[in-house]
Amino acid sequence: MLQKEFFIKRYEALGWKYRDVKPRQAIRVNMINAGGWDVAERLRALGIELEKIPFLENGYWIKKAKFSVGATTEYLLGMYSIQEAAAQIPATLFTDLRGNVVLDACAAPGGKTVQLADLMDNTGVIVALDVKKNRLNALANQLERCSVKNTVVYCLDARKASKLKMKFDKILLDVPCSGNFAADKEWFRRRTFEDVQRNAKLQREILAEAVNVLAEDGEIVYSTCSLEPEEDELNIDWAVKTLGLKVEKISCYGEKSPTKIFDKRLESQIENCRRIWPGKTQGFFVCKLKRA
Amino acid sequence: MFASLRGREKTVKFISDFVERFGIKIEFDEENVVEKENRYFLLNDRLKGLIADDFFYAGVYLGMVKSDVFLPSVNLLKIIAKNEKANKVFVDERSAWLFICGRDLFKRGITKIEGSRKKGDYTLILNRYGECLGFGIILKDLDAVEKGVVVKNVLDIGDFLRRERKRLEE
Repeated sequence: MLQKEFFIKRYEALGWKYRDVKPRQAIRVNMINAGGWDVAERLRALGIELEKIPFLENGYWIKKAKFSVGATTEYLLGMYSIQEAAAQIPATLFTDLRGNVVLDACAAPGGKTVQLADLMDNTGVIVALDVKKNRLNALANQLERCSVKNTVVYCLDARKASKLKMKFDKILLDVPCSGNFAADKEWFRRRTFEDVQRNAKLQREILAEAVNVLAEDGEIVYSTCSLEPEEDELNIDWAVKTLGLKVEKISCYGEKSPTKIFDKRLESQIENCRRIWPGKTQGFFVCKLKRA
Repeated sequence: MFASLRGREKTVKFISDFVERFGIKIEFDEENVVEKENRYFLLNDRLKGLIADDFFYAGVYLGMVKSDVFLPSVNLLKIIAKNEKANKVFVDERSAWLFICGRDLFKRGITKIEGSRKKGDYTLILNRYGECLGFGIILKDLDAVEKGVVVKNVLDIGDFLRRERKRLEE
């Protein structure tokens, strides 16, 4: 069986009929840098047509632009970031971020780190990790552009976060994943099921380490842009059964996750996860975890 | 490693000397400025209390020293721009865009000048909204010339894009 057929059959088994999708470019207004401006209005004045994303407070889709939205004065001043709509969801799921100690465990290139700082109003502390040193320059560039002041960045594998000898109130695990076909037109040609299994194993290791550094009443938000259940529901089912976590109810865009995956019955609380099939956004998965 | 105390004094002096060229003084707490591989960061007390010495980036990036020359960050320019007495040149929309693209400033693009107009001084470049786009060196006394290039571009916010392109090419 061809790779593409293999994956498409799996999606159908999960209740989604495959169709080709091209996600729309989106931006997120950085409120700490907006300086009181209506950034959307300023962009409209430049000839950039925007559409408010209904499920995001500060998100807009680009309807039409005469030039790159990554080359405006407003962008360079950090007033907004280019961030895909679904990718804007995870950071918004934490409760009361202000003043907290937050771990962004797989941070580069930094879109979500900047969003966390924005939601925290530059208060508290963000510890941002990434294992690849060459990606840290991109992260640093974003932090400087967006005037982030509350973040410290380390070149460190998320699986070794205990080395920091810290406990975190909130942990964002936007883990390395296999991605999805909507965000990569070569995805079916590039990806194999072995990649998915390898990533799922890595993700479990990151989840396990996150629990070691989570404060007693802390929250973990776990997300991937993978549609493969091994990296999503099956990993969270494993985390519930193995790591003593529970899945919190969340209110955000997306469908309830299935609790039966390829004939395997999962914990009922897995339905609190959100699965986003490609359409208005790229494919995505997100959930919020706490100690049981 | 963090800069030693002596190193910190030297660091803060680099920064203070740079700031003074805009006609103002800003006091940075030496204890809150840390160095990492010739790059300098300003930490708040909370960050200072928990940071380990193998960090890559922290707090507010202020700039770096290369061959004994201080190269400021855009963050530092924004801090300077908050001071009402700092040298500032306000420019029209077209000049603002050209400046961001790395070009020098022509006299005709200037709409307002605050602070020094003297050749050799540093001045911030601001757009019509009062947003800091970078800084330059005044090439000719601004009162003495009617036209031509008057401010040399030293650093502008377009550098963020140039850095990113360079990173992607590497």
